[in-house]
Amino acid sequence: MAETIVKIRELTKLYAQGEIQVTALDRIALDIAAGEFLALMGPSGSGKSTLLHIIAGVDRPTSGECLVQGVDVTKLNESELADWRNQNVGFVFQTFNLIPVLTAFENVELPLLLTQLGRAQRRKQVEAALDLVGLADRMHHLPKQLSGGQEQRVAIARALVTDPKLVVADEPTGNLDSHSAHEVLGILQSLSQQAGKTVIMVTHDPKAAAFGSRSIHLEKGELTR
Amino acid sequence: MNLPGFVIRNAFRNKRRFALSVSSVAASLFLLVMLQVALRELTNPINDEGSSLRIIVRNKVSLAQPLPARQLQRLDKIPGIVTVSPFSFYGGLYKGDEKFTSFAQFAVDPKRTLPLLSDAKIPKEQLAAWIADQTSCIVGQMTADRYGLKIGDRMQFTGQIYPCDLDLKIAGFYHGTADDRNLMFHQKYLDELLGDPGTVGTWWVLAASVAEAPLVTERINQAFANSSAEVRAESERAFVLGFVSMWANIKTLIGGISIVVIFALLLVTVSTMSMAIRERFRELAILKAIGFRRRELFAFILAESFGLAMCGAVLGAGGAWVVFHSLDIQKLSNGLFVMFEVTPRLMGLAFSVAALLGVVAAIAPMFTVARTSVVEGLKTLD
Repeated sequence: MAETIVKIRELTKLYAQGEIQVTALDRIALDIAAGEFLALMGPSGSGKSTLLHIIAGVDRPTSGECLVQGVDVTKLNESELADWRNQNVGFVFQTFNLIPVLTAFENVELPLLLTQLGRAQRRKQVEAALDLVGLADRMHHLPKQLSGGQEQRVAIARALVTDPKLVVADEPTGNLDSHSAHEVLGILQSLSQQAGKTVIMVTHDPKAAAFGSRSIHLEKGELTR
Repeated sequence: MNLPGFVIRNAFRNKRRFALSVSSVAASLFLLVMLQVALRELTNPINDEGSSLRIIVRNKVSLAQPLPARQLQRLDKIPGIVTVSPFSFYGGLYKGDEKFTSFAQFAVDPKRTLPLLSDAKIPKEQLAAWIADQTSCIVGQMTADRYGLKIGDRMQFTGQIYPCDLDLKIAGFYHGTADDRNLMFHQKYLDELLGDPGTVGTWWVLAASVAEAPLVTERINQAFANSSAEVRAESERAFVLGFVSMWANIKTLIGGISIVVIFALLLVTVSTMSMAIRERFRELAILKAIGFRRRELFAFILAESFGLAMCGAVLGAGGAWVVFHSLDIQKLSNGLFVMFEVTPRLMGLAFSVAALLGVVAAIAPMFTVARTSVVEGLKTLD
């Protein structure tokens, strides 16, 4: 039985929209095992991105518990959360979000600038990450010189470069053609299956979800299956 | 790559905007330095040791009122005085100048004046020629250069204050004083032309020591108290400042313009930084998400804002220093300004203003970044 890397209990998130209170997450309970590739599905506004953000430590719940690798991320302060994210979570976004003035190499190197690693060690890790996503020959290209699929692969390399246990991906194929989407999903799948990373992916697309080892559905802030 | 390199890349990402912003800051700081240099030149009298020893004695009623020439005998007897010379401002129009002559002409007693102008350098034979010839004069080197004057040339002046014209022969040129523009000629020549009225414009007195100068000033004032021509003796510095005060509120005017310039500068810098950060709001959210803390993002913003302001300061204040050192400001300003010196203090002022603006301009973007959560920033992605 694989170790549980994410343990969520009674997780609730309420938003205030003017005078109306909206329940984004309603007493969610969820366990995610290490090395799992979990697809979070559900219609728009179902709360799947909110859940992903809380797990990744970029949002806070109204109540409940969210333990990631034994750390209750809801209890960490801003600065502790920033350090924790840097060391434990890799982010992949729908719109790639690479820094346009930096090359692929420099974009991937960015999270490592916050560590104590020397230049040579940083280079080694960046090259390894870019090699893993098949972009070793594009490391000195600027984002505008890359295709959408290549940009997303650079973003995945950036997410992996600090060697986090957890990779969160919010609609990572939403802006890609089917061929590039297939490539990106294949990389995420191999991260889970071969590298033992826990991957949590938000998606609308059942084909994308099929790459995962498990799918869960959210509707109106509740887990439906 | 390192973090400073990242800041520099960001600053240069929109090269046109960066260049325009730096140019705006530079132009404003150039203007600020120019105004401050002009203000300093107009209001800051020379303050060397010679200046501290010199005392100017004028009529207590007004500078325009002459003093009796007979006061000289009394002044000569006051303890602590090395020398006294008449110093009468002639204020004539030099032949060729239509409306304004940029150098002053003073009627003096040559022998008595020399100790008063201890820093003036003049060849001995030229000095002797001036002393010997009552219709001769000595001219400051700046004026000589400006008009291309030679020894032996004649200079004609039309009286604007006195009802007489001058026809002077140049006996020599001097230099080395703080203002090498003036012309000096014999008081006796002026007296002769005026029919010996027995008056002088002012007395210039040289005190024996800096310590004794205030005492001498007091003694002179007391010596002529309750006389038919009471005097006002004051240090050269006080005299010049009093003279400047007659220019009404020039300090207030230039100060006001300087504040407007700084305010405009602030708007430019704040606007630029706000635009730059607004453009990068998504990226800042991503940086936060991947582990950059608020203080690191603040440092990025501050460094960029500060860097922009400092680039402007180097170009603007540094440019002013280069321009005012290489141009003949006296010629360009028709003699109104002599030195037009960009002093280290003024450079410091310009850089301090730029530094302050850099910091102030970063506050609003920093506040916005601090206030916005990662999720709010990430939401702008969709």
